[in-house]
Amino acid sequence: MLPAYAPGDRVLVYTWAYGHREPAIGDVVVLRDPEMSARWLVKRVAAAPDIDGRVTVLGDHAGSSRDSRAFGAVDASAIVGRVVWSSGDSSR
Amino acid sequence: MFRTLIDNGLRSGLRSLERVSAPATAHAHCDIPCGIYDPHLMQIAALSVVRMNQLIDALGDDAAKTKSSLSRYITVKEEHAEIVKRETRIIWGDYFKPDHLEKFPDLHQVTWDIMKLAGKNKQEVNAGAADELLAATQKFAEMFWASKGVATKKAPSNQAVGGELVVPA
Repeated sequence: MLPAYAPGDRVLVYTWAYGHREPAIGDVVVLRDPEMSARWLVKRVAAAPDIDGRVTVLGDHAGSSRDSRAFGAVDASAIVGRVVWSSGDSSR
Repeated sequence: MFRTLIDNGLRSGLRSLERVSAPATAHAHCDIPCGIYDPHLMQIAALSVVRMNQLIDALGDDAAKTKSSLSRYITVKEEHAEIVKRETRIIWGDYFKPDHLEKFPDLHQVTWDIMKLAGKNKQEVNAGAADELLAATQKFAEMFWASKGVATKKAPSNQAVGGELVVPA
């Protein structure tokens, strides 16, 4: 997710973010890896939920990101929450 | 100013919290979850560098033909030297962990040798340097497989270039 997020950055995740609204394009979210559920991923929402409630997520660093291009749209229930703050340098 | 205050406050608050409860890790990158690494390609690329030196050496006297072939051989030589560097960097940086250094104290040195030799092979037409590059990738491949407890052997490449590849026994 470079340049917005770098390895080691702390991110604060609002886990109730989608109780009252749907994931919107541009949101940065933490989700369960569809191919390895014990693992969490950070990705950006690229397409809002389709009629089945599935969300397309992409990494910012397209050349080296494993995301919906690899595992398809993800179930909205896989989304843990929305990133609302990061410890990274905001000027990066 | 206000933003900085909030950032600093959150940072120090989270630091305190981390002492009590470690944060979970969320991954942003591509690690293929099954972790596939293989030192085969770096050796093939090194062999290609060896081969380009052979072809350059064998170029005839036909000036027009030679000019075109020479530039193509040099391009391929440099591209493959770069592939050697890339493949080595991925395995060295992503696969090997600090624990491996105890068992393979030469790992950094061999990696560094590969980087330097690959650079030399880009700069020069030098069959000796190409052989050294291949030998260094073989050493690297031996360490890689040994770290996984896999025995190796040197097998003939069975290609026009000759040479050997380190493969699982």
